[in-house]
Amino acid sequence: MGHHTIQEVSQEKFEFQGRAKLIPILLIVLGAVLAIFGSLQVKNNWNSEDSHHSTTETDSHAIEGHNAHADEHSTTVLLIDNPHTETTQPAESHDAHADEHHGPTWMTRVWANLLMNSYYFWLFAVAAIFFIAVNYVANAGWAVMLKRIMEAQSSYLLVGSILLVGIIIGSKDTLYHWVQYFHSSAAGNPNAAGYDKILESKSWLLNNTSLFFFIPFVTIVWIMIRMKLRRNSLAEDSDKGLSMFKSSTKWSAGFIFFFAFSFSALSWLIIMSIDAHWYSTMFSVYNFAISFVTGLSVMMIILQYLKIKGKMTLVSDEVTHDLGKFMFAFCVFWAYIFLSQWLLIWYTNLPEETVYFAARLSGDFKPLFFINLFMCFIAPFLVLMMRNAKRSPVVLILAASIILIGHWVDMYLLIMPGTVGDYAGIGLLEIGTTICFFGIFAYTVLHSLSKANLYPINHPYVLESANHDVGP
Amino acid sequence: MVDKSILLDNKKFTVGIFDDSDKLLHAVNTLKEKGVKIFDCYTPFPVHHLDHALGYHRTNLTIGAFLCGLLGCLSGFTLAYYMNVVDWPMIIGGKPQDISVFTSFIPVMFELTILFTAFGMVIMFFARTRMIHGIKEDLLSRRQTDDHMVLAIDNDQDQSLSNKDILELLKKEGAIEVNDSKEAFNTSLTSEEELTKILKSNKTSTKKTKKK
Repeated sequence: MGHHTIQEVSQEKFEFQGRAKLIPILLIVLGAVLAIFGSLQVKNNWNSEDSHHSTTETDSHAIEGHNAHADEHSTTVLLIDNPHTETTQPAESHDAHADEHHGPTWMTRVWANLLMNSYYFWLFAVAAIFFIAVNYVANAGWAVMLKRIMEAQSSYLLVGSILLVGIIIGSKDTLYHWVQYFHSSAAGNPNAAGYDKILESKSWLLNNTSLFFFIPFVTIVWIMIRMKLRRNSLAEDSDKGLSMFKSSTKWSAGFIFFFAFSFSALSWLIIMSIDAHWYSTMFSVYNFAISFVTGLSVMMIILQYLKIKGKMTLVSDEVTHDLGKFMFAFCVFWAYIFLSQWLLIWYTNLPEETVYFAARLSGDFKPLFFINLFMCFIAPFLVLMMRNAKRSPVVLILAASIILIGHWVDMYLLIMPGTVGDYAGIGLLEIGTTICFFGIFAYTVLHSLSKANLYPINHPYVLESANHDVGP
Repeated sequence: MVDKSILLDNKKFTVGIFDDSDKLLHAVNTLKEKGVKIFDCYTPFPVHHLDHALGYHRTNLTIGAFLCGLLGCLSGFTLAYYMNVVDWPMIIGGKPQDISVFTSFIPVMFELTILFTAFGMVIMFFARTRMIHGIKEDLLSRRQTDDHMVLAIDNDQDQSLSNKDILELLKKEGAIEVNDSKEAFNTSLTSEEELTKILKSNKTSTKKTKKK
């Protein structure tokens, strides 16, 4: 019988060339072409659909002659739309009304897509760096063999952050109605007709300083800590001893402390402020749950990809099994957080809170809402429950794909109802953008994977991970 | 799952007593390689890989757990639905009294799933291992419930090695005590009865060795 024990972990490298390099580049190009084609299609359909809308609008503009009317119009609507007085109409639809003279155009849909995909793929990198840090702080050994995968995955943080910050700054006037409000004449003037008490009370966070300085500041700190951890990890390869491990543990502890606050603030700023009148105390945890479960699924797919390529053979079924358990556990965690948010809002039934779900349970979003629940919780819960499922590469890839597609829908539901509203849809534009971002993500990750050994050979826990066993 | 009674019914055993789980595991593997049939091992804590080494297949308790959970989930739904919709509909927070208040059933369903699984698992585990409340189990060594591990070989079974060879092998594997005809004593015995029984079994074993 006897289990043979691995005494030394050999060096192994991933070659980033040939098809592995070509396919991500092709995906970027294909995605970009599809997205451009899709956005042109959206533009054409938009103009033909809304021809009567635009004519009435131009008529009114022609009669009044200047913007004063438009401002007045929007302010009166905002008063009615104040969630404290308004009960029946979902917030999203009045948001659309409020900025009628520059309401959702085809460019809104393009920007919303870019924001959604850049945020979605950025979350994978965030989850990876968080997972590295957690493993250090918890003194955990089982996942050490996967550390280079996590590091490669977190390498997208730099590219992703640049894309995300660029897209937020580019789209702020289109997507965030609070930006439009603070530009209007009513801002800061309680006697003005369009004065919005709720938005004013949030101005300490929702302001240009946050957008232009706070988001870049947080991402730069994360990138710096990530670079430090990566540099330690690479230095460890040529230098035995505990000094790098100790240093990384300290940086990881600092990172987790900073991450807890900064990630919450970023999720409020980037996503929750789309529905700026609404708030939920569960929201940042909800975003974290999405981040972690998708990050683990991506990690699993990279691992299985490398295993198919004949690499990472020393990663035993036990480690894969444990990663599968993590995926399973955090599917349930996501459902738990979802329920915690939904149950309270549903029970208390306060209009200023229900508007969020009212928008997501109406129109085209309603089927997606249930698809989201099914793909993010019920399907992976049932698929991953069996022990043998967590040891079968095919089932694991299937489950990870279900989770990733499910959370793409989740992301769609987070962003689209508040920005594009009734004009949202899943077409060539959405699919193309996703493929393009996937290509960028895959290229970055595979490039980073090829830069170092696939195993952290001198990590103090590498043998523990290689011989990891949790029993039957 | 061990398909043996915890009552050992006056059988005679060749036993090796270990104080180290690694040594026990190694001994089991060596004996298995030589073709010796091992009756069972008694350990005060779960030893990793021991069940694998002894050739026991994985437990089916997990399927039982799933079924219990499913039953609990459905019971929770039935309970909440029957009470809130069929039997005694009440208006709470202006909500309707039909299936559309499913959200309010979820906590009940969740809790009953946990409750049924927990109770079901405890009952199934004790039933399967026959650890029924009040039973007095048979022990081969007092300290198998404390810090010693017992490797038991049934003397009635035909073995590929002679008893003497097995004893020598066990000693070589690091057993702190070996005995070639140990009889189990029941924990319902008083300490005096237990002592006489142990002395008796020791006498018989010494007799046997003298005869040889």
